[in-house]
Amino acid sequence: MIDVQNLNKKYGNTTALDDVSFNVGKGQTFGLLGPNGAGKTTAIKLLCGLIRPDSGIVSLNGKTDPTLIEVRRSLGVVPQSLAIYEELSAEENLHFWGRIYGIRGRKLREKTADCLKIAGLLKRRKEKVSKYSGGMKRRLNMVCSFLHEPSILLLDEPTVGVDPQSRNLIFDTIEAMKKEGRTIIYTTHYMEEAQRLCDKIAILDHGKILDIDNVENLITRHGGPSHIEAELEEKISDVEKIKMFVDDKDIQLEERIIRFKTSQPMESLAKLNRSGLRFHSIKVQTANLEDVFLNLTGRRLRD
Amino acid sequence: MNKVFFLAVKDIRVLMSDRGNIFWVLVFPLVFAFFFGAIYSDAGEGPTGMKIAVVDEDKSDFSTSYISKLESSDALKVSLLSREEAIEQVRKSRIAAAVIIKKGMGDGFEAIFNSEEPKIEIAADPSRKMESGYLQGLLAKAQFEALSGNFTDRNWMKDQISQWRGEIEDANDLDTRQANLFLDLFDSFDTLFDDINDQNLKMGFNGDILNFSQTNISRESDGPLTSFQITFPQAMLWGILGCAATFAISIVKERAGGTFQRLLVGPTGRAHILAGKGAACFITCSFIMCIQYIGAKLFFKMPVGDLPLFVLAYLCTILCFVGIMMLISTLGRTEQSAGGAGWAIIMIMAMLGGGMMPLYFMPAWLRSLSNISPVKWGIYALEGAIWRNFSLMEIAIPCLILLAIGFAAFLLGVYSLSKQQD
Repeated sequence: MIDVQNLNKKYGNTTALDDVSFNVGKGQTFGLLGPNGAGKTTAIKLLCGLIRPDSGIVSLNGKTDPTLIEVRRSLGVVPQSLAIYEELSAEENLHFWGRIYGIRGRKLREKTADCLKIAGLLKRRKEKVSKYSGGMKRRLNMVCSFLHEPSILLLDEPTVGVDPQSRNLIFDTIEAMKKEGRTIIYTTHYMEEAQRLCDKIAILDHGKILDIDNVENLITRHGGPSHIEAELEEKISDVEKIKMFVDDKDIQLEERIIRFKTSQPMESLAKLNRSGLRFHSIKVQTANLEDVFLNLTGRRLRD
Repeated sequence: MNKVFFLAVKDIRVLMSDRGNIFWVLVFPLVFAFFFGAIYSDAGEGPTGMKIAVVDEDKSDFSTSYISKLESSDALKVSLLSREEAIEQVRKSRIAAAVIIKKGMGDGFEAIFNSEEPKIEIAADPSRKMESGYLQGLLAKAQFEALSGNFTDRNWMKDQISQWRGEIEDANDLDTRQANLFLDLFDSFDTLFDDINDQNLKMGFNGDILNFSQTNISRESDGPLTSFQITFPQAMLWGILGCAATFAISIVKERAGGTFQRLLVGPTGRAHILAGKGAACFITCSFIMCIQYIGAKLFFKMPVGDLPLFVLAYLCTILCFVGIMMLISTLGRTEQSAGGAGWAIIMIMAMLGGGMMPLYFMPAWLRSLSNISPVKWGIYALEGAIWRNFSLMEIAIPCLILLAIGFAAFLLGVYSLSKQQD
């Protein structure tokens, strides 16, 4: 569906993308996760043909020229900046974008109503967009890209500056699009979003992809061990007994509380349980994408 | 084509949704045309006489009659003021001159014709010599007209003769023979004024002094018939300039926001977007032209010499500024920078091209310099159709220049826009 090979892009002396390659299958949600300036927006612009790469190939639905009209019709792009007319109402905006894609008459009215419903703007559809809150504008900005039912959606940080309610609405919408079988590329610097929405994630930093895989594998590879804190029902005196079942040599025992790190938390806990230990409570802090990024780059995502 | 239409409609809606835009493209040009049109035509009252102030320090019957003669003159617009007020008005150039009628003016012939102590004083700016000379002629004429009333007054004349008789009798340096000659003449006048009937007195002693007959001949149409014919081409240009600047800024605004990108990644090419902007600008300017034309005809009674040529001139002017709009839109990456640069260029073009002060009133060197401004050619073409009585061949020159400038600016703008990576 989407195939990107050895993409390079420089702005003057600054490397925006450095030999980037990835592919996204039909119906998959692919995340580009990286801090600001990592090259996410450049990647989106190259994918939709707004800028040309210095080298490399972008293939969308088998076509290597994203500027072809038939390719563009299959694309829905949600740019990072608001791409709506604030002087018009939500309904007028949707009508305009629909007409640009050749949608007319009853179909346009139906699609407009659907989009307004998805964005939660049905009641305020006649109001000028300039009177909307930031979250409402973001929601409208997003649904304007769905109107023509594109098979590929490119979302460039759609939740920037959005309130929690609008963020959840945007997530629900993206998940609904995913269920409909659309292929989605989603850029973000929020690891929670990537973790929630994406089937596959590319960790991007300084224009380079550091690794690509699903969340679980990325964490397994780069996230480091999970931290476990378990409270036992009875006090034990010999810590060596526990060490037999846990591969952490630095295991700590304080009264009835044991703390250890493991890359296989469930298996370790099961082994301890089988050895006769009874747990009063267990806290498992697994690694996340933030840890993945930290371990890969030595920096935090939002540094 | 549909896409261009939808883009144009959207742009017009966006433009019209902003009251500020409406003011600049529609209201301001009309206000401009009306305001300056009224100023150039002296508040629309038509031709008026020379404004003077009269100070009556004499307060006699003669001075009253004299003032009424001045007031009845079409060539003068008289206001009665005190000496201080009158001189202040002259100083501030609000009036051409102040005429001060001194005390004693109505004391008779002696006072009126006393060259040693003039009873009428003219206070005027020395740089306005021509008006001053003209005024002296008008004052003399009024003076004789006032006097002719006294000549038909039997008693006043007999009083004057009695006064002169007394002066001759008292004159010691006059020899007796000469004195008798005057006294005989005065006796004859006395007899005449005693015996002549009223009808003959009026016929014989009344009449205009140095009277003229006037034939009104309208000049050939080598200039505008009304001041609005000067200000409306300017106003129309301001409408087009406002429109061009607004649309140029709207292109920058779309580029700075995300809408330009969204349009580019849709099934619309750059050409569609620019054509849509151009079409919107063209339609809006045409609409403004219609409003201005109707306003000019209905409310200002502005005659238009040749309507088809006027439409041709207007369309060429719009096309020229649509091209310039495209170029202006590439001058900055933000609304502020493009807006600032755009308005600066427009103001210079307008100043040079007669958008502020009519070319008609400009010095020759500035008129030559104005050739570099498309505003000049726009106004020239419009004036050609409105009052200069241009033929098709004559109007073709400014029209072709406008089209050439517009085309060159359009190409340059599109090239520059395509070079700027969005």
